[in-house]
Amino acid sequence: MGATSPSAALPRKAASEKSLGVSRGPRLAFLGILAICQRAYLTLWRQPVLIISTMLFPVIYLLVLGNALNRQLSNIPLAVVDEAGNSLAAECRRAVLALESGRGLVVATFPADREEALEDLRRGRYRGVWVLPHGMSAIGPGPAFIGDNTDRPSYDALDSALSEIWGDATGVRRRAVLPARLEAYPYLDYLTYLGPAVVCLAIFMGSMVAGGLQVIEDRMYGYHEGYLVTPVSTGAIVAGHMLAGALVASLAGAFVLLAIMLFTPLPMATPEALGGGLVTVFLTALAITALWFLLFARARKASVLRGMFGIINVLVFFPSGALYPVESYPKWLRVVSDVDPLTYGITALRDLLLRGSPPSSCYSEWLFLLTFSLVCGVLTQVLFRREV
Amino acid sequence: MNPIEAEKLTRRFGDTIADDAISFSVRPGETYGLLGPNGAGKTTLVRMLTTLLAPTSGTARVAGHDVVSEKGKVRASIGTVSQAETTDENLTVRENLSIHGKMYGLWGRRLSEVIERRLRQVGLWEKRDQITRTLSGGMRRRLEIARGVLHSPHILFLDEPTTGLDPQSRRGAWEMLGELKERDGSLAIVLTTHAMDEANFLCDRVAIMDRGHILCEDAPEALKRSLATGEHVLFETDRAIEPRDRDAILALGAVNWRTPAPTSAEFEARPGEGVGRLAAQLVEERGYEILHLTISPVTLEDVFFAYTGRALREER
Repeated sequence: MGATSPSAALPRKAASEKSLGVSRGPRLAFLGILAICQRAYLTLWRQPVLIISTMLFPVIYLLVLGNALNRQLSNIPLAVVDEAGNSLAAECRRAVLALESGRGLVVATFPADREEALEDLRRGRYRGVWVLPHGMSAIGPGPAFIGDNTDRPSYDALDSALSEIWGDATGVRRRAVLPARLEAYPYLDYLTYLGPAVVCLAIFMGSMVAGGLQVIEDRMYGYHEGYLVTPVSTGAIVAGHMLAGALVASLAGAFVLLAIMLFTPLPMATPEALGGGLVTVFLTALAITALWFLLFARARKASVLRGMFGIINVLVFFPSGALYPVESYPKWLRVVSDVDPLTYGITALRDLLLRGSPPSSCYSEWLFLLTFSLVCGVLTQVLFRREV
Repeated sequence: MNPIEAEKLTRRFGDTIADDAISFSVRPGETYGLLGPNGAGKTTLVRMLTTLLAPTSGTARVAGHDVVSEKGKVRASIGTVSQAETTDENLTVRENLSIHGKMYGLWGRRLSEVIERRLRQVGLWEKRDQITRTLSGGMRRRLEIARGVLHSPHILFLDEPTTGLDPQSRRGAWEMLGELKERDGSLAIVLTTHAMDEANFLCDRVAIMDRGHILCEDAPEALKRSLATGEHVLFETDRAIEPRDRDAILALGAVNWRTPAPTSAEFEARPGEGVGRLAAQLVEERGYEILHLTISPVTLEDVFFAYTGRALREER
């Protein structure tokens, strides 16, 4: 191709060493991108630590966080002080015992002395004390709940459970008309709700390692120079890095997606949803990698990345609605979440996997992710320095 | 057309001038050495010629292409072995070359053939499936050289090719470069080094650089011969050296006569004329007993010293 012409001017003795004719244009760009991707892929498998951190970390994260936050509350120590001794109190005590043997929500003890029970509450032995006072009846006096409000979830759970018992015992609840409640989708625990977030976390980790850290390390150790002196165009080098990072991150995301489908069966695990999910995983990976790459277009030291990681983690992962619904954020945080590619990845994944929406409902999210990647890519190419 | 033509190539970094209006040319098939201490501007010069750094002023043509306006064409016709290790230690020897070859548009069977030929040339074919991390420093450098010539460039740039290698690996790398040149006579090599023995062994011509300038440029032997004071002689006798014997030695061509002690003498002489040996003979003929004699042959180090008044190693 075109580039070989100058060789004519240089005499060459050995025919076997003849110039190989370096190709240019689209073919070279394609091969350059391919080469960078090939290296990223091979490097990943040669560094087991990388695989573990990018693929297993999010799964462990899911299992620990999901189980820690999601567990139904149980075994809350509760003291019931029965001072009334009447039939209503007996019914309340029976209901508490039913709560203990049934849902296992509480571990009930029945101390005789109110003061002693309250003292133990302050020492942390009980999360709550339920006092059934002298002469307790449906028209008053009623029971008193004294709860340990440093542990808000236990406090709320005890409060509502005991209110319910009192309501049942006195027949208060029977008078009210129950509002209709329907769940629009199959039952979903928090662990499953976290699923899409964990897929995105895997993508986030993977792209940080493959898109950010790898590029900086290449620069630090001089490997990058090896790319820069080749005739491959700057655009192709940038595209190659982005694609390589996106593929590694997608691999991590897809692995976690499949793992989640096995461990916490997603309600809508249809082939269609899986296909749409994989497209979403790839596009999210591309966008996040592009973001990392843009941020580190000129960074030369890994310490820059270490310093930035915490900030980026907070700015990208948390506003994305991964852990908590975006709608409840304050306005300024919603602005962040509106430009955060992870928000769109998570929204699309939730639509596909939890709500069973058809892939066509994710087109707008996909379009955003693609546009975001392109904008970052173009900016990176402008910032990218071919010189060392 | 010369593979490299540099015309007043200058590079500044802020107030410091790394290279100050450097002009030189490299002929086809020539191995050209840039010898100088660290900070002389060698690496900056090579970076400008390999398009990794834009010159502040001046022009250079590499393989007939301008290093500023025709970067792509320059890149396509050169191979580089940088000071940094540009092979990935996690990949095998062959994978490293396969990735690099693609960056030059090589693909498929042709790529495999080229890889095999180059690996055989540098003696790494048997290690082709070994992870690069497990190679010795010398082997790794040979892999990098194989990588530099994989796409059969017209010009190969070697930036301090043997720095950090043990003497044996160094020798091995030199011999390998020699073989490479034998097989491909038209390949021009530009190498930077601060080791005079390396420049002496490998280069057809050497440019001695210091503080951004080329001080002199010629074949190593010619550079050494050009010195009036290259050979260094030191001897010690059993008795004080008499003035008439001193004058006889000076008549042989000795200069810079010094006597560290009455019984010993130290002087320099033009290289290649055997003044040291003749002086020793003369002293013995006149009845002295030589207790100690050192004749140091001239080196490029002395050439550097002659031009700068400083030793090459002082800069390290």
